[in-house]
Amino acid sequence: MTKKLTRKEQRGFRADQLALGPYSLWAVIFILVPLVFVAYYAFTDNNFNFTLDNIMRFFTSTSQVLQDDGSSKEVYTYLVIFWRSLKLAVISTLICLVLAYPLAYIMARAEAKVQKTFMTIIMIPMWMNFLIRTYAWMTILQDTGILNNFLGALHIPLVHIIGTEGAVVIGMVYDYFPYMVLPLYSIMAKMDVKLLEAARDLGCSSAGVLRRVVWPLSLPGVINGITMVLIPSISTFYISQKLGDGKFFLIGDAIESQYVANNLHFAAAMAFILMVVLLACMGAMQILTNRHTEGGK
Amino acid sequence: MIPMKPMAKVYTAIIFLFLFAPIIILLVFSFNSSNSLSVFSGFSLHWYKELFHDTNTLAALKNTLVLALCASILSTIMGTAAAVGINKLRSKYMQAAMNTVTNIPMVNPDIITGISLMLMFVFVGRLMGLGTSLNFWTMLIAHITFCLPYVILQVLPKLRQMDPALPEAAQDLGCTPMRAFLKVEVPEIMPGILSGLIMAFTLSLDDFVISYFTAGNGFETLPIRIYSMTKKTVTPKMYALSTLIFFVVLALLLITNLMDDDEEAKARRAEKKSKRSRKQYSLGNRGKELIAAGVIALALVGVLGASALSNSGDTLELNVYNWGEYISEGADGTLDTVKAFEQWYKETYGQKVKVNYSTYASNEDMYAKLKSGAVSYDIVVPSDYMIARMKDEGMLLPLNFDNIPNYQYITEDYRGLYYDPNDEYSIPYAYGIVGVIYNANVVDEADIGSWDLMWNEKYAGSILQFNNSRDALGTAMYKLGIDVNTTDKTQWDRALAELLKQRPLVKAYVMDEIFNALESGEAAIGAYYAGDYFTMMEAQADDVDLQFYYPDETNYFFDAMCIPSCCENKELAEIFINFMLSEEIAIANAELIYYACPNSLVYENEDYQEYLGEDMEILYPSMDGFAEKYNRFAYQNLSDDMLDYMNLLWENLKIN
Repeated sequence: MTKKLTRKEQRGFRADQLALGPYSLWAVIFILVPLVFVAYYAFTDNNFNFTLDNIMRFFTSTSQVLQDDGSSKEVYTYLVIFWRSLKLAVISTLICLVLAYPLAYIMARAEAKVQKTFMTIIMIPMWMNFLIRTYAWMTILQDTGILNNFLGALHIPLVHIIGTEGAVVIGMVYDYFPYMVLPLYSIMAKMDVKLLEAARDLGCSSAGVLRRVVWPLSLPGVINGITMVLIPSISTFYISQKLGDGKFFLIGDAIESQYVANNLHFAAAMAFILMVVLLACMGAMQILTNRHTEGGK
Repeated sequence: MIPMKPMAKVYTAIIFLFLFAPIIILLVFSFNSSNSLSVFSGFSLHWYKELFHDTNTLAALKNTLVLALCASILSTIMGTAAAVGINKLRSKYMQAAMNTVTNIPMVNPDIITGISLMLMFVFVGRLMGLGTSLNFWTMLIAHITFCLPYVILQVLPKLRQMDPALPEAAQDLGCTPMRAFLKVEVPEIMPGILSGLIMAFTLSLDDFVISYFTAGNGFETLPIRIYSMTKKTVTPKMYALSTLIFFVVLALLLITNLMDDDEEAKARRAEKKSKRSRKQYSLGNRGKELIAAGVIALALVGVLGASALSNSGDTLELNVYNWGEYISEGADGTLDTVKAFEQWYKETYGQKVKVNYSTYASNEDMYAKLKSGAVSYDIVVPSDYMIARMKDEGMLLPLNFDNIPNYQYITEDYRGLYYDPNDEYSIPYAYGIVGVIYNANVVDEADIGSWDLMWNEKYAGSILQFNNSRDALGTAMYKLGIDVNTTDKTQWDRALAELLKQRPLVKAYVMDEIFNALESGEAAIGAYYAGDYFTMMEAQADDVDLQFYYPDETNYFFDAMCIPSCCENKELAEIFINFMLSEEIAIANAELIYYACPNSLVYENEDYQEYLGEDMEILYPSMDGFAEKYNRFAYQNLSDDMLDYMNLLWENLKIN
């Protein structure tokens, strides 16, 4: 860093800072300031006096849950809801990653024309409305639906999917799958083929190449993909309503129902907590990857 | 190079089947002759015809496309510039800070991004003294905001992968930084920019939640419109629209692919001729493309803005806010009542009027929107308990009945009801009664007649319950004979206990999904509104026989036209209400909604009676003691404290 900048370089930096200008302004006004509103609502009551009640309510509110043996157990309502949302979102994200990784790899190694076609095929479903596509899944997955008709015709035992956690996960995986493929593909397409060949020439097995070369190089794409799938699936409420038969109350449902009940302050408090948790997770992930990539050098 | 090619092929095929399964479904059902989305009754082009007559849906489609185009292009330009800037930041901390800020819109749930932006827009709007602060522009800002991080996330990795020596080399060779950026960096990161653009476009096209909060008067997008259909049902019309979009997109992509091939061929020829490297050729081209795209985007935004702002003085505007699928819009040769009003007004008063028609999914959504003070609607159609609430909170204006002479056709039976005892604020539009619908092929005749059917263990796994707190708790309260408006919390606890008892028997908690579930035989028992029973019956599968009855104690509801206090042209609104009460218009609406109509011009009309046939009997309950029953069984406005408690109970039911 002690190197003095040439005039040309200085001009370059100035231009780059100029490029960042509009976005910085935008980010402050339309990203940061609205967050202040969320925090403000989360820590105030209906008369905008400071209170911690909304935050406390999230952690202390309890419900009675009936157990299989008929007795009931007291649980923390929102912690249970939050845990369930997190669980389903993480499962969906992992499935997306496992399914998308090979596809992105195949795509990236294919001819330019095939790459383009694949990209198109992956994007097209997303241009049909998300609400409509989820609706169509109901027709497929319900007990008397297309899938069971098909299985029945083949004399395979029927499956009960709709209204289970599995159906919600299918919906999430389906809707957010492209968000996993795209970042993975975009990073793998840039990977230097010579590196892979060199590894192979040096006696690495296919699995070894994948584990020691492809995977570390694709990590930034993996992180992006995880972010892009995890966040929308953790806060969704439409999918759980339609494919979960309305039985899976997720954190998104909880926030929405508080908003509908005109309880903006508690809705904001839940959002605030969700935000803090997610930001912390993302931050931790960022630090880990930074350490990892630095270690690699 | 890839040893496992056949396996890779099978794998991709399976993934693509997964991606396209629902697309195939909606393609097939768009040709359904009935209005079911799960029972195929026969081939028909009926829904395509309807689609092209539905001006409001087409307008929503146009709005959606325009918004997505503007938002994606603007966010791509700004996002790419930002990514370049972030990448060049020398301080690690600054970089980390920028990355964190960029992540925020993605880490924020949609609902919160939506609400928080709305709160801010409203705040600024009030500061500037604007009556309506939400419009096309606020929606565009919101869309750009949530698209930006996705663009940056696509572009940034490309920049990191790029050899930093590249632009330096270009500058050493005499390029200005700008030129080096356009000629060297941009082509290098082009795949990232393009996927960012596509992603932004797709996200914007698909977004519902954020749009919903930041949308203002008269700018309705497709997702909002579809969501508002949840009171009635999503029809194959929407599938038809999706199918058309599918083929248009497919065609566009094929054309661009062909053009690209053409370009490549040309490039190759050029390469041979001048020995110029192909890469360089396409680089120059790409730069120009980028600039052209930018210019087009700005022009588009300008034109759209101009059209959104050009409320020329000689055209009056009327903003109507109604339930989804709750007015006759000219589908299938019926009357387009909104158009009819515009025409009639011009002929009668010699002045143009433009009706901006928007829809909502629930009373609470509508209330929240009006309460925010960011929109101004001239007419809303709330249900009874919401009218009472809005009236109490001073959100409604008393009507001037001199402008609504057709009010005379609303007979005594429907006047003086509890929510508006002195008939000052509301004109009833439609009403209905909740009943139980059951599949007679599954359910024994002996079990029917009361709410007990929905708690009958014999039918475990075939029972549907409402997916909203008030209606679901309502069924339990009617069953137990509890007053649905009680302020005694122990009574509400009893209702919850009843729902908890029912929960193991319940197949699903539903709103509009009930249509599919009952039509296809997926479920056998559910409570819903009488008029909707007929819609389901028309579409039921061959082995399903849907029947209907009213339990003794059940919910009665009224939806009525009101003028909210933010109305800007009260007289015009009253003239519109009066027009909606005129014979031809009211009949067209009643036939579409298929609930009972309190207008004597409708229910005494012989053509209408003939149209309904035997359904008339179920739809129109006996008038003996109607008002008394209504006032006893209808939902009334609950205090905030009670609403909060009801919500707690609902969450308790849902986490079981």
